[in-house]
Amino acid sequence: MLLAATDYVRPDSLQEAVELLASSANARPLAGGQSLLNVLKHRAASVDLLVDISRLEELRSIESGGDGSATIGAGVTYAELERSDALRASHPVVAEVASVTVDRQVRNRGTLGGNICFADPASNFPPLVVALGATMNITGPGGDRTLAAEDFFSGAHRTALEPGELLRSVTLPALGGAGTGYRTLPLARESWALARAAALVRGNGTIEDIRVVLGCVAGTPVRATAMEDKLRGEQPTPEAIADASAAAGEGLEPPSDTHATGDYRRDMACVMAKRAVLEATGGANG
Amino acid sequence: MADSGAVHTIELTINGEQQTHNVMSRQLLVHFIRDVLGMRGTHIGCDTGNCGACTIIVDGQPVKSCMMLAAQADGRSIETIESLGDGPDGLDPLQEAFREHHGLQCGFCTPGVLLNAKTLLAENPNPSTDEIRRALLGNICRCTGYTNIVKSIEAAAAK
Amino acid sequence: MNPDAKTLPYSPVEQSERLGQWSGKNVPRKEDKRLLKGQGAFVDDLWMHRMGYVHFVRSPHAHARIVSIDVSKCEAVPGVYATLTGKEVGELQEPYFQMAPEPGANAKDYCMAVDKARFMGEPVVAVLAESRELARDAAELVEVEYEVLPAVVDGVATVEPDAPIIHDEVGSNVGWHGVYDYGDVDWALDNADHVVRIDRLHFHRFSSAPLECSAALVNWDPGTGVCEFQTNNQMPMFAAMFLGPAIGLGIDHMQFVTQDIGGGFGIKITSYTYLTALALLSRKAGRPVKWTEYRWEHLAASAHGNERTFLDVEVPVMSDGTILGFKLRAFDDAGAYMRYEPLGAVIWSQVVPGNYRFKHIRVDYTETFTNKCPVGPNRGYSRLQHLWMIERIVDTVAHELGFDPVELRKLNYIQPEDFPYEAPNGCIYDSGDYHAMLDKALELVDYPAVKQRKEAAAGSGKRIGIGIGTTLDSGTNNFGQSRIINPELPFSGNGEAAFCKLDLYGEVTVTLGTTPQGQGHETTTAQVVADILGITPEMVHVRAGYNKANHTYVGFSGTYASQFAVTGLGAVIGAAEKLRGEMVRVGAAMLGGVDEDDVELADGFVRLAGNPEAAIPFIGIAATVFSNVAELPGELADSVSLNCRHVYRPPFAVPNSEDKTGQLTLTYASQVHVAVVEVDEETGAVELLDYAAVDECGRKVNPQIVEGQVHGATGHGIGAALYETFNYDSDGQLLNATFMDYHAATSLDVPMIKYGDIECPSPFTPNGAKGMGEGGGAPLSTISSAIQDALPEGAHIVYDTHNPPERVYDLLRSASLGLPRGVSVTSR
Repeated sequence: MLLAATDYVRPDSLQEAVELLASSANARPLAGGQSLLNVLKHRAASVDLLVDISRLEELRSIESGGDGSATIGAGVTYAELERSDALRASHPVVAEVASVTVDRQVRNRGTLGGNICFADPASNFPPLVVALGATMNITGPGGDRTLAAEDFFSGAHRTALEPGELLRSVTLPALGGAGTGYRTLPLARESWALARAAALVRGNGTIEDIRVVLGCVAGTPVRATAMEDKLRGEQPTPEAIADASAAAGEGLEPPSDTHATGDYRRDMACVMAKRAVLEATGGANG
Repeated sequence: MADSGAVHTIELTINGEQQTHNVMSRQLLVHFIRDVLGMRGTHIGCDTGNCGACTIIVDGQPVKSCMMLAAQADGRSIETIESLGDGPDGLDPLQEAFREHHGLQCGFCTPGVLLNAKTLLAENPNPSTDEIRRALLGNICRCTGYTNIVKSIEAAAAK
Repeated sequence: MNPDAKTLPYSPVEQSERLGQWSGKNVPRKEDKRLLKGQGAFVDDLWMHRMGYVHFVRSPHAHARIVSIDVSKCEAVPGVYATLTGKEVGELQEPYFQMAPEPGANAKDYCMAVDKARFMGEPVVAVLAESRELARDAAELVEVEYEVLPAVVDGVATVEPDAPIIHDEVGSNVGWHGVYDYGDVDWALDNADHVVRIDRLHFHRFSSAPLECSAALVNWDPGTGVCEFQTNNQMPMFAAMFLGPAIGLGIDHMQFVTQDIGGGFGIKITSYTYLTALALLSRKAGRPVKWTEYRWEHLAASAHGNERTFLDVEVPVMSDGTILGFKLRAFDDAGAYMRYEPLGAVIWSQVVPGNYRFKHIRVDYTETFTNKCPVGPNRGYSRLQHLWMIERIVDTVAHELGFDPVELRKLNYIQPEDFPYEAPNGCIYDSGDYHAMLDKALELVDYPAVKQRKEAAAGSGKRIGIGIGTTLDSGTNNFGQSRIINPELPFSGNGEAAFCKLDLYGEVTVTLGTTPQGQGHETTTAQVVADILGITPEMVHVRAGYNKANHTYVGFSGTYASQFAVTGLGAVIGAAEKLRGEMVRVGAAMLGGVDEDDVELADGFVRLAGNPEAAIPFIGIAATVFSNVAELPGELADSVSLNCRHVYRPPFAVPNSEDKTGQLTLTYASQVHVAVVEVDEETGAVELLDYAAVDECGRKVNPQIVEGQVHGATGHGIGAALYETFNYDSDGQLLNATFMDYHAATSLDVPMIKYGDIECPSPFTPNGAKGMGEGGGAPLSTISSAIQDALPEGAHIVYDTHNPPERVYDLLRSASLGLPRGVSVTSR
């Protein structure tokens, strides 16, 4: 409950933040702190310098691209996502998911960037941003770069960020009429997830493009490619979707822990995948 | 063992009063409130930010003070339970509603619940039962089973 | 049963006619103002000059020999005041008194691990430093070398010969064993029309986990030799009885003070072990020491509720549905040390047949040790487990033999006209009407409509289930039942004390021996005193909390076991009546020597009935006795003090430890709950659609407070049934020791509870009230029953109190997978 001794600094600019982060191997960015402070309380990581980025203006805006795309600053809080009219117009699923993330106290502090960079396998946003085909905009000592969301997550609590790099924003491509689905099997009401699937489906009549992304089954979000392959080019009937969802579990070795076994998580991944795709295609509410 | 480097001077408004303090980097806001400011109404019930007993209001929004560093309160306005009610003796209408509807038993979760409820009613003066129950998700109570807490907030909304 | 008073072991009690103006009303709580304003004084709020902060170094292993401890690096840090190791404790402390007979009594239990650690989280070293942070940081420099030993975590397998022995001095992992045998269950099994056999039922491990963790500020004063414990322990005199002899402190050399306690629920009873360590540390360091438990420490190393496994359950049933009784083997997992155990091994027998007329019962009961957190008397202590098992039996019999679950219960319930009812072991159930309660509960959920909804849901992918749970909350213990466990124990009866006095200026003050943790004792006490003295509750000053030196106490003083309305208020009534009597006598003298029968107390005056002018305010009575006593006749002056103490003593005799019979509790509050669940066929997720809780606890002093307790007990039960459990791995590691992973039920998990109540006054208590508060764990039975009702034909029976989504998923699939069902029926 008590943090180990550490230093703290609040830079005034993104550039300064990057320099500070690069200055020490044990420097970490601190935004909302709704995950990192727990890590520090339990002394599960050693941090010498906390670089407070929670007020950096460069990270705090939501910009609509005019073409239906949206770029969300990494420092935008869940509460701000929930309240964003722009986001409700362009990517309502993001605002919806933000509105049920943890509780309202946490939503006032926790950020999109924090959620993504903490990369907890049971968290909301990693599978969602992968399903939406998001692009990660990164700033670091070597300048700016981008990464596809899919390539951003490298393991449980691990991302592709290099030392000194910060996630600056997340760009969501325009939905362009695609349907989205997001289903969670929680441990309790609006609680931690035992299983989760996010889906994006594009096409009228037959499925032209489909992305089904599973959370809670591995260290990183997992594309259920076998299921996607079965549905691409098909009519999105409930039977076809149910049939294809059995393939979602292929090759998965989810962990067993205090809440559930790996076998159950695998079975539930298929159920959530089915329901998410049904939702995305406007089918029966699973 | 001594804290490395790190005393920060913060300026913040505490229950309406502008104050300046020195805080250690690692100090959590809840410990600052309890131990440095000596305001004991904000409570600690867990070590993982789940229970909400430490809930205060920061710039008008409910926040768990154990999930924030004291240093992060610089430039902010915080309100604790001590700011509710009229002086050392008075209860405000929200507190009165809890008293009338038996919305508390041991009282340990109560300050956090009241401050959360205060912000809920400020943004949604007429919440439904479901909205109240959802708003309370971050406040754990082990005594009341929540039913009377919800009824107290409904009664306060109706006033 | 013949309610003729001559055949009862104790008679109905005369009840005060004066209770009625304030008793029975929803008087707002006196406690609330300070709690609403954050002005409560909880232990972590307290502070003493020169105090140090304590951090415990704890065993990471479930079972390990402590090879060596090196505190030198830790002690070398400036600001570290002292350390205390288990080795020192072994020298400074006598092992705690054990309630079990031998060989269980041979287990050596100290406040910290001495030779070996026996559960993950057991304290090994205490570090005292000038700040919390320093104590925490310096503790990391303590070096402990362990030799890890194999651990045993299964409460049944632990008795197998190959299990690692946890207490060498005991020689096995059996702490206690006994057989309870009432009626003739073998005859019943031979002659019944059907025998229903259930392989295994399991009551899981969970905790009421109060929101405030244990804490204490302890100062062993070198000058006076008195050790003061400012703590949130909820049964200080029980703590004193264990603590005092262990470290050589006389009872009067221990002072206990509590004010506001953030919930207790029985989990704060066994904290005397920590108090012992803190006392030793305070004495060693010559400073006050302050300790506030962290949540993970509370979940891993304070106390858990009892975990009980029932095996080979056999139930004889007649063709009309009459259940004759049951026979089973029970294994209760006490964890690493027996602290309040093995009392649990007899306490369940307060409710041997549950709410039913069963006559033939045999329970072969074994208390076992495992390398897990020691158990404590968690809310509903030991009765929850037994009552859940009984409701599973009734539910299962209904299902297997095709009886309507409502009708089967009504047939087998103790009938309303049977009260006072003598249970097979001699316990007297004072009053009740379970039939009326069941009807009420079904009405609250609109039973016919729900049944239709259930039919309509067929094939929708959601399965609806309706469940019933019937339980008891037996209150006011006869501690003589401990002799059934161990005939040598010098305990019997019960008692609680209260002082009621008139202060110098006529103010009415009451002190209690209880330690409230939110039950509103200050308020209900004031209501009762107001009635007796003819004043208002505002005019009664009830001193907050517990204070051994300034208040009053008896051996079992504390707040636990659903008894305050009887024992605490019984003491208050007695003390207030004594005070009233003295005031009447003084008043009669002051009014000119009138007849005492003509004197009444009303509206804050002592006056002549029928002549409101002839009235003396309370200050007048007090002033005469305290500063003007020569005006009173000498005999009267010698016989009044206006400072009246009363000890309420329930009418218990010593139970019979030979045949394990006796009157073990005085009152029997009851609960009937009905739940409607919706089970997702594909996932096993359970949603509570509706929940009704009907309660009966005799005459209610403050109905709103009673209802609050019912809500709270229901919340705990729902939490345990669906969300809360302690999971240990096979190495004895507790996998969920934080609120991140131990999911305490939230405002969305607990539905808005529909409450109903009836009142069946107890004939045996001074106010017709029954102890209540713990509840009987009815949600556990109710939700098990509802899930069972939702399962498809051929599914395995619900066998565990805890049913998270995966377990329900497995139950759902068991039908289609053709797996064994855990139950069999043989019929003539």
